[in-house]
Amino acid sequence: MTALNKIPVVKKWLFTLLIILLVGAAIVWYLFTLKHDDTATVKAQFTVEAVSFLKEFENDMNLANKKYADKMIAVNGTIAEIEMADTTANIKMSDTTNGAYIIFAFQQQHLPDAKTLKVGDKVSIKGVCSNGAFSSILETNYVTFNRCAINK
Amino acid sequence: MKKTVLFVALLVASGYVFAQKKTTTSAIIGFDATTSLDALPKAENKTVIASLDTKTGKLAFEASVKGFNFENPKMQEHFNGKGWMDSEQYPTASFTGSIINLAKVNFTKDGTYNVEVAGYLTMHGVKQPVESRAVITVKGAAINASSKFNIKLSDYSINGGAVAAGKVSKEPVINVTAVF
Repeated sequence: MTALNKIPVVKKWLFTLLIILLVGAAIVWYLFTLKHDDTATVKAQFTVEAVSFLKEFENDMNLANKKYADKMIAVNGTIAEIEMADTTANIKMSDTTNGAYIIFAFQQQHLPDAKTLKVGDKVSIKGVCSNGAFSSILETNYVTFNRCAINK
Repeated sequence: MKKTVLFVALLVASGYVFAQKKTTTSAIIGFDATTSLDALPKAENKTVIASLDTKTGKLAFEASVKGFNFENPKMQEHFNGKGWMDSEQYPTASFTGSIINLAKVNFTKDGTYNVEVAGYLTMHGVKQPVESRAVITVKGAAINASSKFNIKLSDYSINGGAVAAGKVSKEPVINVTAVF
């Protein structure tokens, strides 16, 4: 007879329950404290040129969204505009032929890098593509990116 | 003939000079649905398109639902899922409306103006009337518009399990800020 068999049944159940509770608490703690990865450490799934990327959305918005939405993408292009505020520094690249644009919202820890950029700079920016859509306010297509970092 | 061409050219040019519609692509919408049971359902979208017509008082916002960034990736996944915003089917949320008491605002004079805004918020495929107080701050050439209000998720057919379980506020706070 093993030592485990000598433990009364109630104690075995309590021990099992304790293990289940500890595993459950660990899972809950993990899920509640989960954070997004630092974009600088994540490999891009696609590397694209800004204008040809915008053309893909112009040609077929649904197809482009299926291909790129929620993916980590590095976009190479020229900065057309910078919209800066205390807590944000959004960088824009655009297709000058039709006004379509890509806008990159930077991850908090990479905001200082974004604030060093200037209009006209050629740059590679990596981030998560939210999606592309048509703006009825601006009457043009746009693609938004979140959690961006300069692709070094 | 030359005079007519000149007149038309001046008319077009004056349209640009006196254009009253101001726009930004970096307005911010904050969404706070935290409860005592869960502090995670809180997000910000910093790439919201907004316009303000200083002549008519017309206001508009457009936000990509997937553009809301949560600190917790699992929460972001739930927010975009079918039980909540279903961003695959309803990728954008928008507001169109007007400043009701536009006469209170002098866009050529620095100052802070309290206004009332009314319009329609479309979200999750449902369009509902909304009214809110807002503050317009004019400082030099910059116009800052901000507003804070609550929405009822049930008004937009959002009744997922987390809402029913009290983990997500039934009436989240929406914070809107735009600098034109």
